[in-house]
Amino acid sequence: MHAYESDYREPLIGPSVKSYTQITDELVRPTEGVPPLSWWILFSIMGMGTLFFLFCLGWTIWFGIGTWGLNKTVNWAWDITNFVWWIGIGHAGTLISAILLLFRQRFRTGINRAAEAMTIFAVICAGVFPLLHTGRQWLDFFIFPYPNTRGPLWVNFNSPLLWDVFAISTYFTVSLLFWYSGLMPDFATIRDRSKSKTRKFIYNIASFGWQGTAKQWQRFESLSLVLAGLATPLVLSVHTIVSFDFATSVIPGWHTTIFPPYFVAGAIFSGFAMVETLMLIVRKLFKLEDYITVNHIESMNKIIVLTGSIVGIAYITELFIAWYSGYLYEQHAFYNRALGKYWWAYAIMMSCNVITPQAYWFKKVRRNLLVTFVLSIFVNIGMWFERFVIIVTSLADDFLPSSWAYFSPTWVDIGIYVGSMCLFMTLFLLFARTFPVIAIAEVKSIFRTSSAVAKAERAKEAGSSSGGYVGSYQVGILDKDAKN
Amino acid sequence: MADKIYWKGLEEKNQLISFTESESKEFAENLPVVGSAVDAISTKGNTNRRDFLKMLGFSVTAATIAASCEIPVRKSIPYAWKPEEIVPGVANYYASAYFSAGEFNSILVKTREGRPIKVEANKQSTVTGHGTSARAQASVLSLYDGSRYTNPRKGKENITWDTADKEVKAKLESIKAAGGKVALFTSTVASPSTKAVIKDFIATNPNVEHLVYDAVSYSGLLDANQQSFGVRAVPNYQFAKAKVIVGVGADYLGSWLNHTEYEADWAVNRRVSKANTAMSKTFQIECLPTTTGFKADVRVPVKPADEIAALIAIYNIVTGSSAAGALQNAKVEAAAKALVAAKGESLLVCGSNSVHAQLLTNAVNSALGNYGTTLGFDRPVYLKQGSDTAATALFEGLKNGTYKGVLFYEANPVYNYAKGKELSELISKAELSVSFANRLDETSSVTAYVLPDNHYLESWNDIEVKAGILNTVQPTISKLFDTRQFQDTLLTYSGQTVKYYEYMQKNWETNFYPKQTKYTGFWAFWDTTIHDGEVVLNVAPTATTAGNPNLAEAASVLADSVKGYGENQLKIYESSVIGDGTHSDNPWLLEIPEPVTKVTWENFVMVSPKFVEKNGLQPDLEMKDYHVIKLKAGDVELELPVVAVPGTPENTFGVALGFGRTAVNHDLLKVGKNAYPLLTSGLDIVGNVTWTKAGKTEKLGITQTHHNLTLKGLGGTRTRHIIKETTLEEYKQNPYAGNEDRADILEHLVTLYPTHNFPGHHWSMVIDLNTCTGCNACVVACNAENNIPVVGKDQVVRAREMHWLRIDRYFAGSEEDPTAVFQPMLCQHCDNAPCENVCPVAATNHSSEGLNQMAYNRCIGTRYCANNCPYKVRRFNWYDYAGNDSFDKKWGTGNDAGLAAYQLGMREPLTRMVLNPDVTVRSRGVIEKCSFCVQRLQDAKLTAKKDNRPLLDGEAQTACQTACPTNAITFGDRNNKEAAVAKLFNEERAFGVLEELHTLPNVMYLTQVRNTDKEAKA
Repeated sequence: MHAYESDYREPLIGPSVKSYTQITDELVRPTEGVPPLSWWILFSIMGMGTLFFLFCLGWTIWFGIGTWGLNKTVNWAWDITNFVWWIGIGHAGTLISAILLLFRQRFRTGINRAAEAMTIFAVICAGVFPLLHTGRQWLDFFIFPYPNTRGPLWVNFNSPLLWDVFAISTYFTVSLLFWYSGLMPDFATIRDRSKSKTRKFIYNIASFGWQGTAKQWQRFESLSLVLAGLATPLVLSVHTIVSFDFATSVIPGWHTTIFPPYFVAGAIFSGFAMVETLMLIVRKLFKLEDYITVNHIESMNKIIVLTGSIVGIAYITELFIAWYSGYLYEQHAFYNRALGKYWWAYAIMMSCNVITPQAYWFKKVRRNLLVTFVLSIFVNIGMWFERFVIIVTSLADDFLPSSWAYFSPTWVDIGIYVGSMCLFMTLFLLFARTFPVIAIAEVKSIFRTSSAVAKAERAKEAGSSSGGYVGSYQVGILDKDAKN
Repeated sequence: MADKIYWKGLEEKNQLISFTESESKEFAENLPVVGSAVDAISTKGNTNRRDFLKMLGFSVTAATIAASCEIPVRKSIPYAWKPEEIVPGVANYYASAYFSAGEFNSILVKTREGRPIKVEANKQSTVTGHGTSARAQASVLSLYDGSRYTNPRKGKENITWDTADKEVKAKLESIKAAGGKVALFTSTVASPSTKAVIKDFIATNPNVEHLVYDAVSYSGLLDANQQSFGVRAVPNYQFAKAKVIVGVGADYLGSWLNHTEYEADWAVNRRVSKANTAMSKTFQIECLPTTTGFKADVRVPVKPADEIAALIAIYNIVTGSSAAGALQNAKVEAAAKALVAAKGESLLVCGSNSVHAQLLTNAVNSALGNYGTTLGFDRPVYLKQGSDTAATALFEGLKNGTYKGVLFYEANPVYNYAKGKELSELISKAELSVSFANRLDETSSVTAYVLPDNHYLESWNDIEVKAGILNTVQPTISKLFDTRQFQDTLLTYSGQTVKYYEYMQKNWETNFYPKQTKYTGFWAFWDTTIHDGEVVLNVAPTATTAGNPNLAEAASVLADSVKGYGENQLKIYESSVIGDGTHSDNPWLLEIPEPVTKVTWENFVMVSPKFVEKNGLQPDLEMKDYHVIKLKAGDVELELPVVAVPGTPENTFGVALGFGRTAVNHDLLKVGKNAYPLLTSGLDIVGNVTWTKAGKTEKLGITQTHHNLTLKGLGGTRTRHIIKETTLEEYKQNPYAGNEDRADILEHLVTLYPTHNFPGHHWSMVIDLNTCTGCNACVVACNAENNIPVVGKDQVVRAREMHWLRIDRYFAGSEEDPTAVFQPMLCQHCDNAPCENVCPVAATNHSSEGLNQMAYNRCIGTRYCANNCPYKVRRFNWYDYAGNDSFDKKWGTGNDAGLAAYQLGMREPLTRMVLNPDVTVRSRGVIEKCSFCVQRLQDAKLTAKKDNRPLLDGEAQTACQTACPTNAITFGDRNNKEAAVAKLFNEERAFGVLEELHTLPNVMYLTQVRNTDKEAKA
């Protein structure tokens, strides 16, 4: 890390954080002691939701896919919508841990741990759907290319669904490694603070006996870089491959070359929105305002407005190309999308993904936490509908009008979707109580450069009266210090 | 101390040592097993405790596994004495005939291991040699129906035949003794031998009267012929000879009389090619849209009463009369003029059951000189002989006590007589009431006795479809239940001991054998007839006597009736799929979408789109919930959902007969409402109907909602070239007419990839849109051949019907006066199939013969292929429809979807006897689709191989192809340049659907050509 940071930059660690000890104390505290009542309430609601999710899974497997609302024309609906949505959400974690690390964006340190955890959990939720949506789930192992005595019979390497299998399993593996390797020093920190023997034992194992020697740190840094290098192409490739499920087909509304960049932008867009939703809650619950500052939120909002606009351009490009192509099937597909029987889904998608995020062009809005929270949820609703619109409206009205149909979900569809969110939240709640939700070691690494206190001290040494940094949002730490 | 061993020399010493060594072995030499257990435990010193334990472990584990795996017990009974003609795995075909509710088909019954499983057309028949009807195809399922009576019954109790005979005979005797009369109430009996049996029965029981009625009555037509020509019979219509055909409310391609025959005949003059551009011109004047109307060159939509007014107009123009009440309509005028122009080669058919209307029709055909060419009494048709007075006579007779007893044979008046409800009370009060129904129906549930008849596939019989054209019916399976053929029962009651088979034979020997010259010796004649199924005897044309009916009076009666119908008129029609309701307990038929409306499982009120719009009765966004209205006609009120159908005139309502059966095997079959009570006047038009909203909606399983092909898109309103249409004039000038864009499409089909090579066969199909009438025979044939499950109304509402072959219908033109095209849609077996490359497990792939095939065992059901199929012909097994998976059956019925297949008996051992053993029954969670009947192709190939010759063109036929009455489907090997399909494939009219996607479909369609003057493009 660079030792110097411009005074023009807003601090990334709040003014009340004074020392490394304090960082350790504040970040490890949530994992120690008995969880608060609010946690228990949330956990039991989400836990029940997860049980219902499992019930719906069992129901589907026992009775068949017929319990869903699908029909002869719309053979994929909520299942694949949820799959793409969850995979997209996962993307922010990889982006933050890999690309932002390579670009040395220090603001990532406050949010990367939770974002990576979110990636893992989102991919778990996503992975359920392709495995569950098949007609004979007990034969899902057919999609893996394993040596067999059936000929041998191999999988079809031409099928985008098979590419999905590889993309997602790679993605999950790399994300898990990245997340876990980052956790090792922090587990060691928790171990070192532990008073109970069991706790010490468990966290020792979890940290792989981390000692914090110079050699270990050196290797740790190298590993991070290597994994970042591996994960970076994944940020682009995973959703590109997911988009191939549609792009390589012949269905109007699916068969478009714009899908890979459009899907990647959308994924990052929804991922950051989900990080915001979660972090704003965690920040409040665990009182981490000094580590996840308004500055972090603003940085994420900038990414959201950028990716949201990219997605918006993609929507308009699609409409334009449909008109310009002169291809009547595509022309109808997009006409139907915007003005057909699913117009409401398109309207929700447009307003949540393209229109509302434009508010982030205003700094005041970017730094308003309540607005950010609401908009982050809007984005996630919008992105779910984007996938729904792409999948369902394209299938419902395709080439032969004789086969057109309408999809409406059953309680099983809804149960599985809502249940997957409960599963996600359950995992996240467990994570928040047992793992440090903010990367302690990484935050410490920027304390000397980017914290409010360090900046103030540097300014004092330089004899500046600027109050620590020369941004527009001086907080006047020195003045406060002087008063004390 | 051991004995000393003395030895003479070294050799001896060595021998001795080796001897002692070998002495301890069981065998003198090592066993020739390498590495075997024996080796391992041998005394050689390499005895290995470890190996021993390994082997012990292995064998114990292997034994445990082998012993613990439950091996299903298959009970099979081998043929102790193998019947001579049955070879397991080889199908036998028996000629037979289907006759029910006035519909006739000469058929071949395919049996496998003694089970009839499929009905095929009897190609040797001169009447219906081309194909079959949908109902004939479905009739094989009714053999294995759970609603069949298994025993004779008294009330609800099963009794023995002896008891039944004793009691019924006693009752007959006592009625006879008391001087009471007994009615033998039947629908049309077309069997000469049965008629003889009835005659014998009446001879011994002179108090019995034979009353003949038809649920869908042609009494008016018969009576008019009696008046005009002195012959009470249906004339022999010859549509093939007609250059101009005008139909007035006669759905001759769908439900009218012997439509299977008429379809084939009609198609003769509709099959155009570059070489033969002669084409008949057809006009259809009708109120409710039918396939006949939409296949016509000119369809004239008029209100129900105006059908009659149009008839008067035609009568006026053709005969030069000036009867009042004629309809002023330019198209009707044109139709009449066309008739005149084609004098002697034209045909007017009228669907009305009014004697007066039929008198005018006869007058018109007479004036045109059509008798003797396009219709005549050379061989009168005997499929409808009933009289409207029969049911009334029975009703009155039972009421006033003239009839003390009543016997019902193939008659269900409680259901299909207007006053059925009151009749049922009278029947239950009668001294003797017997039904010979072979299955549960409304009448047999109120009669005192049920003496179940055999199913026709278990019976001997003969059918005289036309004078001198006889078909035989032979049993194809021994009786499934304790039933007895009706004729045998009557013979018993006539005091005869002869069996009906012998009786029939004798009858043939005396009456029919002399009327032919081909065979010498009765047995040669008999055996050949039974084998061929049909015999044409030399009979003289039926003599006619010119009557002198009062046409002026007939016209004025009609004109008056037209005025009396008022504004809101109801037309009661026979659905071309369900028919008169005799077979509306057949799940195959109920699930077939009615060709024009695409409604399954229900009847409904057909109205104009304007009516729905004006009164706010549009269905919901999903097109599933339809508003219910209360329709009141006279004293009868029906609550039915309304469906708007383009081409229905305003203030016109249509309700189909054949629904609303109550005495059926399962609640799921109790669908729709019974419209027979509306038929009080015997006429299908009811005037002055009123309606009110019922304030509720009902779900309807409509497989295709009303879309035309002109659709809005971002580039404006444009037409999809899925179907192609042209006019005869344009076609004569340019054989590519209507199909002009194909050259451009083909030119753009360039690819960088290597093209596919099909060295052997390259199976292809060509469907002529011109001759396809949308009759659905192919769809039912496909169901039967390929074990396609019935899914029930609930699943159809959810758009999950399983049909591999469907008939798409597209409207064009205005809502008031549209045209429509029917397009059978099935797997196109694309050589570049979009479904194949997306399957992750390669479960669907291409054969070297161009077939797109499914490996059901490999399919995991991602449904990606179904999504990526541009033709949407792939079907997914949403539930365990066939009951062949190891899921708990009880659980399977308890879920929300209520597995209809289970409840409809599709999982019952009895019903499953209809399954084709050559076709895999698919499990839950796999995709299925049309296979081009690959099992039939294999069969044909093997036959050719056994004969050591190349496969001939036309030898391999798909089920849909053989069922098609109009030969609209041509199938074969495109690699054989002489094959019919290869020639048609490259015809100017041929086009593939969505060819621009470069799917290279193996199914081609031929442009529809209409014989109209104006532009008729879709």
